[in-house]
Amino acid sequence: MNGQPTALEAIVAFVDERVGLKQIQAKMLNEPVPGGSRWAYIFGSCLLFIFIMQAVTGVLLMFYYVPSADHAYASTQYILHEVDYGWFLLSYHFWGSSAMVMMVFAHMSQVFLWGAYKKPREMIWLVGLALFGIVMAFGFTGYLLPWDQRAYWATTVGVEIMDKTPVVGDFMARFLKGGPTPGQMTLSRFFVIHVMVLPAALMGLAGLHLFLFRKAGPAGPFRGTHAELKAKTDYFFPRQIWKDIVAMSAVFITVCSLAFIEPVVLLEEATPDPGEYHPEPEWYFLFLFQLLRLKIFSGEFGQFLGAIALPGAFMALLAALPFIDRSPERNIFKRPVALVGWLIVMISIVIFTVSAIINREFLD
Amino acid sequence: MSAQAPSMSPVKLGLAVWWPAFWSGIPFKLTIALLFLAMGVPSWEMPGIAFLLLLSIPIDIWAMGVSARTVFLEQLRLNPPDSLGLTLWWQNAILSALYLPLAYFIEISVIAGAKAVTNRIMELGLMKALGVAERISINLVMWSSVSTVVLIILVLVYLWLFGRIVRRQAAGARAATESYQGLVRSWDLMRVPADQPLMLTVFTATGVLLVFGLWAFMPVTTPHPHESYQQSKGKQVPDLRPVDALKKTEKLLAQAETRVEALEAKAQEETKEKEKEKGKGKSKGTADPTKPKAEPAKAGEKPSPKQ
Amino acid sequence: MQPQLKSKVRCTDREVGEVTRVIMDPLSLQISHIVVGGNGAGGPERQVPASTIQRVTDGLVELRAPSSELESFPAFKRDEYVTIHEVEIAHLEEHVHVESGEVLVPVPELERNVKRRAFFANFTHSIGILIGLPLAYPVLRYLMKPMYAPLDNGWIKIGNANKIKTDDVGVQFKYKKKVKEAFMPEAEVDKNVWILKASPDTLEKVYKGKDMDFQDQTGRVIWTNKRDVPYVVFSGKCPHLGCGYKWRSHKVLGQVFLCPCHLSIYDATGKVLDGPAPRPLDALPIRVGPSGEIQIIDMEFKAGTRSQTRIV
Repeated sequence: MNGQPTALEAIVAFVDERVGLKQIQAKMLNEPVPGGSRWAYIFGSCLLFIFIMQAVTGVLLMFYYVPSADHAYASTQYILHEVDYGWFLLSYHFWGSSAMVMMVFAHMSQVFLWGAYKKPREMIWLVGLALFGIVMAFGFTGYLLPWDQRAYWATTVGVEIMDKTPVVGDFMARFLKGGPTPGQMTLSRFFVIHVMVLPAALMGLAGLHLFLFRKAGPAGPFRGTHAELKAKTDYFFPRQIWKDIVAMSAVFITVCSLAFIEPVVLLEEATPDPGEYHPEPEWYFLFLFQLLRLKIFSGEFGQFLGAIALPGAFMALLAALPFIDRSPERNIFKRPVALVGWLIVMISIVIFTVSAIINREFLD
Repeated sequence: MSAQAPSMSPVKLGLAVWWPAFWSGIPFKLTIALLFLAMGVPSWEMPGIAFLLLLSIPIDIWAMGVSARTVFLEQLRLNPPDSLGLTLWWQNAILSALYLPLAYFIEISVIAGAKAVTNRIMELGLMKALGVAERISINLVMWSSVSTVVLIILVLVYLWLFGRIVRRQAAGARAATESYQGLVRSWDLMRVPADQPLMLTVFTATGVLLVFGLWAFMPVTTPHPHESYQQSKGKQVPDLRPVDALKKTEKLLAQAETRVEALEAKAQEETKEKEKEKGKGKSKGTADPTKPKAEPAKAGEKPSPKQ
Repeated sequence: MQPQLKSKVRCTDREVGEVTRVIMDPLSLQISHIVVGGNGAGGPERQVPASTIQRVTDGLVELRAPSSELESFPAFKRDEYVTIHEVEIAHLEEHVHVESGEVLVPVPELERNVKRRAFFANFTHSIGILIGLPLAYPVLRYLMKPMYAPLDNGWIKIGNANKIKTDDVGVQFKYKKKVKEAFMPEAEVDKNVWILKASPDTLEKVYKGKDMDFQDQTGRVIWTNKRDVPYVVFSGKCPHLGCGYKWRSHKVLGQVFLCPCHLSIYDATGKVLDGPAPRPLDALPIRVGPSGEIQIIDMEFKAGTRSQTRIV
């Protein structure tokens, strides 16, 4: 050692002696990524980043937003028109939620295509599916809060669809609505679910997801000889984290740009009669919405089939995936069923989403 | 040990160079686009698009260079020639200038044609029995599948042409003699700047300046106000300051008390005078002209203080 | 068996030292090299690949190379490696068995009685459940309080029948309903219904020969619409998903009720002609005073179901 340690070094040594800081740091950061850090692995970290930004902007919005039926709309308009940069924070929060859904699809697709749900990563996949459900629930509950026509009616239609579930549907719908019809009780419930219940669930499950991931280790690329993988191996810190942060900054800039291009503009305040307004859910539910317009899903049972049974069966299939697909092959180009299945699902979602947008012109 | 240079098809080669080059440039272009947006200049209209394309040139040259040199070292096992980035960039610029308008025209025509054909098929009445939603989706699938196939072909042709350009550069390059690990180390160290403190300082300082610019340009209130929202006008409710209000009231009460005491005193004096005058008046027998004035004034002003 | 640390290393001809360190491959989680040192001659430690190991016994590692070849193995460079405590490699420690013997710590005297441990563990579980349990029922009632509110069966005046000029034509009556939700101040909600002055044919189709009964939650009949009263009132909410529908001219079906949301179409009797509506329009209790004053009981029914279930 040359000379006296600096103040910073002394503090670090003090903490390290008591806590084993250096070892903890090393364990957390020096995780070798076989085959090297990759841009394809950034989606999970981006999700974490987007969640933190949503939490921060969300808390800021709560400084002015009032979750009561007679003030929700006015307080939201106040944030948009009078509070300095309120329009920007609300628009960031709004576009951030869309970014989160996109990123969830990207992350799930990357994990699926890389076969990283296979043994020994089955539990990470299952927890991930639960997290997916939570993200969709976030989008659904948050959408109601501005209490304009779009918010109120998208929620009403969504909850009515849930009502179609046999046996428990009526109870679930009344629980969410806080009564037989949507009103103040609905707003209160959606608010507490959105700002307390779901964030707590997300943080808990995300923590579990990360713990399980570290325990199993990164899956790495699906091709490459042992020598090639070893030659390109680097540590999580700083290489993968560097790629993560570049991706996060790209996401940040994109969401900011969207906030500038298309700031949030509310419709009129919610009324019990939709009038000229045609209820529509958020864009990431549009494909389901369009599916329900098909004749095969008409009628009470048909709506249940299309809205609850089919998506439910699909989620069950995804959950069962690591237990059905036991082949250790992870190369997507050698898993034709998986590749074709993924393409069909993605293309169908795109087709139905675009169809829903085209269908808007046919509504009168 | 030097590995045999593997041969790559032009399409694979084109993609291997173009894909990372494209994404490497994105963060910089996004930053520029965001700054423009804050100033109210969208990047998909003139003049925003012109500025963006202009500023993209050095970014693209750099990105192309990094990407191409990496591919040369790791996948082709060749030493990249000097100014590879610049060479590939200007050759690609010419290719794009010639090919892209043609490809665009082809794709637009195919889309229009496919849509027309699809509409004719739909009109044939075979599908009248289906619902609106079904017809919309079938219509969409019919014309979009054709257009997508053509689009994929156009992209593959572009990549093939670009791959040929890269191949020509590769043909003139010398084989690299290091081991695989050595090659990986080469392209990896290529990404570390020679003068780290300088680069990091310049980067951070530029970033900070851009952020200040963003703060200066971005609008304080929403650029899309709601049509029926009434912005609150100048008339403000004055601030309520409880301590001041109390003090004011105290002062007012004190003043009122003083006035009342003064009036009481005056009233007493006048009553005394009246008594005196009464006495005098009875003996004199004439009414004092000043008295009637005093009386109504007395009656009006004085509330009975003794009550 | 893995080579143990500190065990002696012997080449084909003689002993050359001991195992000072063991190196593992992070990808395969196998031992890739052993470091042989301590041979006294002052030479550097040598890094010997695992393929050179012929046999491992307790305390001894036998190499298949002669001691003269030992110098051909690379010298061990410590700074190219880190210990397994300075890096996180999944499942690595499970594959490490290079210590001879176990490292142990004593179990405290008080914890050695299994029955005692079991009792306190179970008692803890029991108390834990009993702390949570009292909350369950009150919390359930707490959350469910507003979900099954009693129904309002009051009569509301909505207008006069002389507003309706023609038979079998839908006429919209708008009115305001007072609602008090939980703690919210009493509010007025804009509502509307569609009323028809029905011709005898239409009336027959609506009632199908029976008077229309309306019941409350217990099943007791609270009102009956008599089928000889020529006025029929339909709830303003479409039974599909609750949108407000209108009386319109359809190019094929004539004068109909049309819902703009999903294009459900009903005829003047409320019967479904087209669209996703699961049941006909919901009729409400109506009573018409002698001067033509119309009163209704405002009811709402669950949307999207084939059977009619009242919810408000």
